Parts: sequence; C-alpha cells; structure tokens
Amino acid sequence: MTTYYLDIWGEMCPIPIIKTQRKFKQMASGDVLILETEHSCTSRALVVWAQENGHKYVEKEVSNGIWRIELTKK
Amino acid sequence: MLKKSQSSLNLGFSIFILLFLIFLLQLSTKLALIFALSLALGYTLQKSRFCFVAAFRDPLLVGTTKISQAVILLLIISIPAFFLVFQIASNLHLPIELNVTPFGFHTFLGGLLFGTGMVLAGGCASGTLMRVGEGFAMQMIALGGLIIGAFLGNSSLPYILNIFHEFPGVFLPDIMGWVPAISIQLLVLILLWLGIRKWQKSKRT
Repeated sequence: MTTYYLDIWGEMCPIPIIKTQRKFKQMASGDVLILETEHSCTSRALVVWAQENGHKYVEKEVSNGIWRIELTKK
Repeated sequence: MLKKSQSSLNLGFSIFILLFLIFLLQLSTKLALIFALSLALGYTLQKSRFCFVAAFRDPLLVGTTKISQAVILLLIISIPAFFLVFQIASNLHLPIELNVTPFGFHTFLGGLLFGTGMVLAGGCASGTLMRVGEGFAMQMIALGGLIIGAFLGNSSLPYILNIFHEFPGVFLPDIMGWVPAISIQLLVLILLWLGIRKWQKSKRT
C-alpha cells in the first residue's frame, strides 16, 4: 500500500477529477491518494466520483475553506 | 488545527439578516419576500453544492451522472409546479407574465459564450454567486465578468435579433393544451433519465 499526493491547488473543476482519474490508473488496489483543495465544488465532485466508482473516501474540512480528501482505490 | 470557530460570526450575521428582513418588511412586502426567497435559494445552493456545469460535463468527461440525474429531477418537479403556479394565478386573476421567448441564433451564441466562460470561471452563474458568498476571491473576478457580460449581452440583443431574426416561436401549451404538453415533457425527461442510467452503466465497466 502506497500513499500518493496530488497537487490540485487552485485548479478548477473538472481538471482535478481528470488528474485524479489519470493518477488512479497508475495506482494499485488499496493505494491511497490524498488531495487538498480550496474549491468546495471540487471536493464535492471528487466525492461523487468516488461514490459512483465504488472507491472509499474520507472528506474533511481541515481549515476554513480547505478540504482534504483521502481516496482509497478499490 | 487551523480551523477557527465561526459561530460568533454566524450568530452576528443571522441577527443582521433578521433585522434587515424586518426593515424590508416595513418598506414593502414584495421586497421582503424576494429577499427571503433568494436567501433560501442561496442557502440551498451552498449546502447542496449544486453544480449545473457538472450536470452537462461529467457524463461526457468522467462518466458520472448523479448530478445530471439531479437536474432532470429538478425539471420533473419544476414543470408541473410551474403549471400549478400559472393555473392558481390565473384562477385568482393575478397578473402573471410568461417569459416565453423563441429560439434563435442568439440562443446558440449565448450558449457558446456562456459555456466558455463557465468552464474558464470554474462555475456557472449560481456557483459563482455561491462561492462569492463563501469568500472565494477568484470568483469575485468571475462575478465582475458575469455582470459586464450580462450588461453587454442585454444591450446588444436587439442588434443581434435584427441581424439573425428569431425562429417562429412554438409554445406547446398553445398548440395542444397544457396537459398533453406537460405529459410529453415529462415523458421525454423520464426517457432521458433512463438513457442516462444506461450510459452510466456502460461507462462504469
């Protein structure tokens, strides 16, 4: 199990989702991807994407207006 | 943790909103109602993070259709509700104006411009407004652009209509009556819903 980080600061939807999808292709099952964003809709879109594709996710607002998402590949 | 509690700010702002609402009620009921309605709308938008862009973008780009389904559901609810409001208003002899405008080249042009701007700004009109309220600085620039664009679009519309003309307007309830028109619309929406479910299943491999 490896933990990856993906830099999506300042990126607008849909770029973060496409980057996440690309990263997920390189990852093995059970790997964790950590993303941080200041864009509320990006965090929402990532959660919806994870839900629909059956990946595990933890979404947290770590600071005012900053969300941290941990995605575990199924 | 960096996270600071904002409950005192929340309380202060709630009191301010309440006082402002009472102040508006003194001035005019209509204004107060509009204010209350927009408040409710803004609250719902912010809490649901409803994104119209995602409804059209995500099925093609990432194959998720949850938000598209939400938009179809929104239409399924709002079309009969629109009919109800119209019927009640005409039964009570209240003045109501239907903003039905014909389709034309200006619709394409506007859609293209709005779509491009929407992708660049990272949000549609409602999303931009919502994030300005959240304090997202970049969206303030987008809001500026939105206002300038709306002003330019509105003032250039007569010229564009003059050049390209409108298509003859088709308003379904006028041709076939309200009930068949609404039934057809609901049927189309339900078919779209089913089609989208199928699309999603084919994308999920």
